[in-house]
Amino acid sequence: MQKQQLNELNVLLIEDDKKKADILMSALDHSQYCIKHVASSGMSLLKQVEQLQPDVIIIDVESPSRDILDSLSIISHANPKPVVMFSEQEDTETINQTVKSGVSAYIAGDINPVRVRSILDTAVARFSEYQALKSELVKTKQKLSSQRVVEQAKVWLMETKSLTEKEAYHRIRKMAMDNSQKLEDVAKNILSLAQMLEKSS
Amino acid sequence: MNSTNIHNIEHNKRNISLGFMPLTDCAPLVIAHELGFFESQGLNVTLKKQYSWATMRDKLHAGVLDAAQFLAPMPIASTLGLSGPAVNVIAPMVLSQNGNGITISMALYEEIKFVHQRHHIDLPISAALLKPVIEARKKASKQTDTKLRFATVYPHSCHYYQLLTWFEQNGVNKDDVDIVIIPPASMVEALQSDDIDGFCVGGPWNAKAVRDGVGVTGATSCDIWPDMPEKVLAMKQSWQEQHPETTKALIIALQQACDWLATVANRFEAARILSRHTYLDLHLSVIAPSLIGSCLVHHQLSPRHIPSYNRFALDGNDTINKPELFHGEWLLSQMVKHQHIPAEVKLEALIDSVFRQDIYQQAFAEHDAFATPTKVTPLKSTKMVP
Repeated sequence: MQKQQLNELNVLLIEDDKKKADILMSALDHSQYCIKHVASSGMSLLKQVEQLQPDVIIIDVESPSRDILDSLSIISHANPKPVVMFSEQEDTETINQTVKSGVSAYIAGDINPVRVRSILDTAVARFSEYQALKSELVKTKQKLSSQRVVEQAKVWLMETKSLTEKEAYHRIRKMAMDNSQKLEDVAKNILSLAQMLEKSS
Repeated sequence: MNSTNIHNIEHNKRNISLGFMPLTDCAPLVIAHELGFFESQGLNVTLKKQYSWATMRDKLHAGVLDAAQFLAPMPIASTLGLSGPAVNVIAPMVLSQNGNGITISMALYEEIKFVHQRHHIDLPISAALLKPVIEARKKASKQTDTKLRFATVYPHSCHYYQLLTWFEQNGVNKDDVDIVIIPPASMVEALQSDDIDGFCVGGPWNAKAVRDGVGVTGATSCDIWPDMPEKVLAMKQSWQEQHPETTKALIIALQQACDWLATVANRFEAARILSRHTYLDLHLSVIAPSLIGSCLVHHQLSPRHIPSYNRFALDGNDTINKPELFHGEWLLSQMVKHQHIPAEVKLEALIDSVFRQDIYQQAFAEHDAFATPTKVTPLKSTKMVP
């Protein structure tokens, strides 16, 4: 297989049937995809995913190993990957409509080289878009929760030390600067102290 | 057999594709098909064998399958959108209870015996016996990962929650153990090649590991939390609303199959049918044990007698097939406890909308004949396996 140096994406193809695998691999020859084919299932598949860190995974809809991929994002810490399914059965077109996260595309029917490549391109693009949205959401949530912690710490200081809001905020900020800590961490310390005091009183 | 339904069903769907997993507890679906219970309800059912729960789920969501055998927590997961998009999936009938087992590798079994200086370990094996092994491994090496590794079949499954309960009940911290997902058919191989130290899986895979001499079945789901739903009949809520009569007919046919499976003799016959290529394609000696209430433990020890190892029908005077709300709540509580459900999700009335006992009851309201279980007639050839 010829390799292009730039923008080459690692594809892990999971397929027990050598013939089907060959067709898919030749469809992707001379593209920016570098295909590694495995026929394993179970533990050895998990190891392969871990070692190869593929950019895309292609798997037959009917493969028992689908549950492994499905679970990776739920109970393991593996990074989510775009997964492309293929199947000879036409019903995958229908399945495709229900697919959003994790699985990014289904290839149905005959494997047409031109189509496969564009499906992979789309899947990768759609997946990165989805991941970007998701991480943005996580960041926003984090930001909100850190604001909430600081807010709570402020209220506690105001109530127990009879400070104004401004004074309370300055006190937290000063502690953060003195100890080179984040505002959020200082606020958390204050709150856990508050909790301790409340318990002992 | 009541035939009025066949006429009603003209307004509904006759041709049904029904997904099943090649496991011991797919018996009700196979029996309803083989013994003509579907047919006598006016249904033309095609059983579609699936190899992964994720595929089963996707196909049901997409309408490629009309209905399917689901792991009991799966309709809840689908409805909440825990894996993929949220789709309202209902469970109007429970197909089976129990059936899972925890099997450990021969090596781990020997290690437990060695650490505890025992020749014999009482059954069911307590996970507490693992603690010194875990500690010893922690001390042995700090760099490499030497955690005990257990496998199970799907995140939203009774197997997974039962495995965690087994650890927790016996004081094993789940962080001290690795848990991975492996398809049922690859479990025995993974155990044999020392990739995992144990697994929690349904039949016939525990029996297979024991027969092959690669594992010891230490506990069954009956030892951990008995008599909870294991597999359910699942369908999209929208599908049920479009085809209420078909749904009833499906439930009645499957109930007849479950009732037929009430006797041990019939369950042995079911094992013979399941061993066929179209279904499990495995030897009778690994399929039959759990169906006839026998838990193989160790290839050199006598099996444990566990009458409800695979249960499909009556428990005393009450049916197990009606989806009980408290069963659903129990499954939900497991999902919440193990953080599969985000804390902010509102759960009130969720089980009401998933575990649809009203639909189950409606199916029989017009069928008084089935208010009492159908008479069970064992087939002629009923040889028992040793």
